[in-house]
Amino acid sequence: MQVISQLVLDENNIAFHPMMGNSYQLNNISKEIILLLRDNKSKYEVVELLKERYDVSYNELFIDVSDLYSKLRVYGLMV
Amino acid sequence: MSKLTYEKPTINKIDFVMASKYGSPIHTQKIRTEIDGISVNELTEKFGSPIFVFSEKKMEELYNNLYSAFSSRYSDVQFGWSYKTNYLNEICKVFHRLGSCAEVVSEFEYQKARALGIEGKDIIFNGPYKPYADLKIAVQEGAKIHVDNLFELDDLEKIATELDIVISLAIRINMDIGVYPQWSRFGFNYENGDAYEAIERMYASKKMKLVGIHSHIGTFMLDANAYRNATTKIMQLKEQVERDFKSEIAYIDLGGGFASKSNLKGIYQSTDVVIPTPDDYAEAITNVIYDLNKSEKLPKLYLETGRALIDEAGYLLTTVHGYKRFPDGKKGYILDAGVNLLYTSTWYNFNIETDRHYEGENEPSLLNGPLCMNIDIIEENIALPPLNRGTVLSISPVGAYNYTQAMQFIRYKPAAVLIDRDGKARYIKEVDDLSTVNYKEI
Repeated sequence: MQVISQLVLDENNIAFHPMMGNSYQLNNISKEIILLLRDNKSKYEVVELLKERYDVSYNELFIDVSDLYSKLRVYGLMV
Repeated sequence: MSKLTYEKPTINKIDFVMASKYGSPIHTQKIRTEIDGISVNELTEKFGSPIFVFSEKKMEELYNNLYSAFSSRYSDVQFGWSYKTNYLNEICKVFHRLGSCAEVVSEFEYQKARALGIEGKDIIFNGPYKPYADLKIAVQEGAKIHVDNLFELDDLEKIATELDIVISLAIRINMDIGVYPQWSRFGFNYENGDAYEAIERMYASKKMKLVGIHSHIGTFMLDANAYRNATTKIMQLKEQVERDFKSEIAYIDLGGGFASKSNLKGIYQSTDVVIPTPDDYAEAITNVIYDLNKSEKLPKLYLETGRALIDEAGYLLTTVHGYKRFPDGKKGYILDAGVNLLYTSTWYNFNIETDRHYEGENEPSLLNGPLCMNIDIIEENIALPPLNRGTVLSISPVGAYNYTQAMQFIRYKPAAVLIDRDGKARYIKEVDDLSTVNYKEI
């Protein structure tokens, strides 16, 4: 099971990882991205899906999603 | 269907240690939207980025506050604008308009003051290195020479002989004022008798006479008592000289060193708590003069304040060029201004403010400049919300020493803008270009 799938997400955008014992503060869009990652969407699919819903350029979104992935790796939530 | 407002995705590990009675650093944002009524975004759009911005209004306020603290206690006080602190012509002109004479420490600064129309008699010539030819010009033009060492006395004796005059001089002295490390590099030491011997040497030549005593005890002095101690020793020496050489010391000069509201690294209290007020400095100095003056006339009091009059009036506006995520998780922003423009970043933690409120939580970030040098770090650990490419950051206070010591290194030295008393912004120095860099190359 992917580590990201082990995160418990609540309605206040708090995520908790039971095995690591760590809690994380998310915002709406990072929560959406984590849910898409759980559905095994590729980075390009994530960016395309979000681009359709949000008022943002593809390039800015791509950099920001890449940045979130880097941070998830730093936290050990993604490989 | 209209699209949703975008907010950059963020995730931050919750560190319960950070919770305290002082509030959470996660949500605090420091914001500066304008300087003297002009939007920081408008300033960078119109004048470029990075750019130094100076507020004439703030300079006036700082000058008037300090001047009135002294003049309300002591009638014969004269400020000398410390050119090395910021010698952009228009900045010097502001302080000359307010009433300052010039305080210079090199031939180049001396020439700058003369080019601005300041007469020799209104220039204080300090510093440990005064080349003979320049010293001679300063003597001929009646500048106030503050002697630093015995070699300079020899030069002055020779100049006096050449010109067949008696030169009126001031002597720079250093002393133990209770603040360590002691500044003993400049001038003659008071306690070990070097200063007195140098004065004897002056009078023995019959070509020089002492009219002033000067000291500059240090920089960013956080204890007003240090000035009390310095003034005490200056007044003691004054009395001794007036008695032994039957000569009037017309002025004393306490130099500069008053602190600005900068956050000195290693000091964790608010600047409002640790920085003495103008009244603290003024009281420390003037009370001692009144107490110890033995001659009929009170000496004229000179001050060479630089930092405390300009630092808080200066900002550096810089723009976010991009960012990257470092392997340790920190977000590293690439700015268009770096340590080449912020010489004082070694000693001070700057106030760094964003141009508006940004959605999202703060996260540990690092501010890097544009130089291809690993040391180009403006701020190593700052909590910032997710910023955009193009976000304008205001860095302050940077009015003192940063422009004069800014290096033309890798990038062109930036422009400087003055916002005048009417709130109008104008260039006071344009951005350098290749011709500036190549000028004088052969």
